[in-house]
Amino acid sequence: MAGTLVALGLRAIRHVPKNAPLQASAAMSSYTRTLIGKREIVGFGFNGEPSYVDRADFPMPAIRWKEPTSDVQALREKEKGDWKNLSVEEKKALYRASFCQTFAEFKAPTGEWKSLIGISLIFVSGAIWVFYALKAFVYSPLPESFKEENREAQLRRIIDLQVNPVQGIASKWDYEKDDWKK
Amino acid sequence: MFRTTAVRAQSIFRNALTPKKAHAATVSRFMSSHSTETDEQFDTRFENFFNRKDIDGWEIRRGINDLWGHDLVPEPKILIAALKACRRVNDFALAVRILEAVKDKCGPKVGEIYPYIIQELKPTLTELGISTPEELGFDKPELNLESVFHIH
Repeated sequence: MAGTLVALGLRAIRHVPKNAPLQASAAMSSYTRTLIGKREIVGFGFNGEPSYVDRADFPMPAIRWKEPTSDVQALREKEKGDWKNLSVEEKKALYRASFCQTFAEFKAPTGEWKSLIGISLIFVSGAIWVFYALKAFVYSPLPESFKEENREAQLRRIIDLQVNPVQGIASKWDYEKDDWKK
Repeated sequence: MFRTTAVRAQSIFRNALTPKKAHAATVSRFMSSHSTETDEQFDTRFENFFNRKDIDGWEIRRGINDLWGHDLVPEPKILIAALKACRRVNDFALAVRILEAVKDKCGPKVGEIYPYIIQELKPTLTELGISTPEELGFDKPELNLESVFHIH
């Protein structure tokens, strides 16, 4: 474990560019550059990190989705003119250059709930079979006191002992008629 | 020992415990400050923010993200200012994204609020040549991506 950590740490140190400037911020930005390539950093995003996430609560990510390739650059030049001259295809291409998925796409239902419920029910049915197996092969039979006549005898004894005579079971028993109060 | 502690504690709490002379302008109270901004002031603040002449794309995105943190659907006049700001910084995608985000912000009342907002925005949209997400076919999913949580 410790050896793995040391190896990982060494690898992280070795991969820092050798000619990185001394200032921490400049070093970080050059590392960030290796992650995001030539993509423009265009905003704050949701936490200030230059990362792309499609989120409904922070609709504007920090970087553009596509790197500025030559055809994207050409579209950007055309974008500076009147937007009425853009065709629908060009408009969609411009959107896809800045953003990965539309709201309708990243909020589309995945149907994952079906597999979740299905797998859960498989485990539940397995547990029921295990219960019956234990019942059949492991547990001893229920004690005598669970039989119908034993439980009736127990109730009779509770009534004879006048258990809970004010609000409970004996208060509902009519001792003169020897039956439940109507 | 206890006496030293008590004396020190007393000197620390003295300032907090003795009632201050109430100033006419500032009365200090031990409670969080509440915003006294009215809805109109809020709308005007954001409208003025987006109407600034020297606004850039960074600030538009920051303004939208901040505005989206509030429990409200933005007034059409704020959105008009934001769309015009998008036109000034030449970012078409941003304008479409704002419209999409408004539709999402309407929540369960999307059937009532979204048509009203589009109706209010229609003159601006035609003036600037912005297509609604519906005109671009963005109201239905057209690109399916595997979730990043399922790739590996």
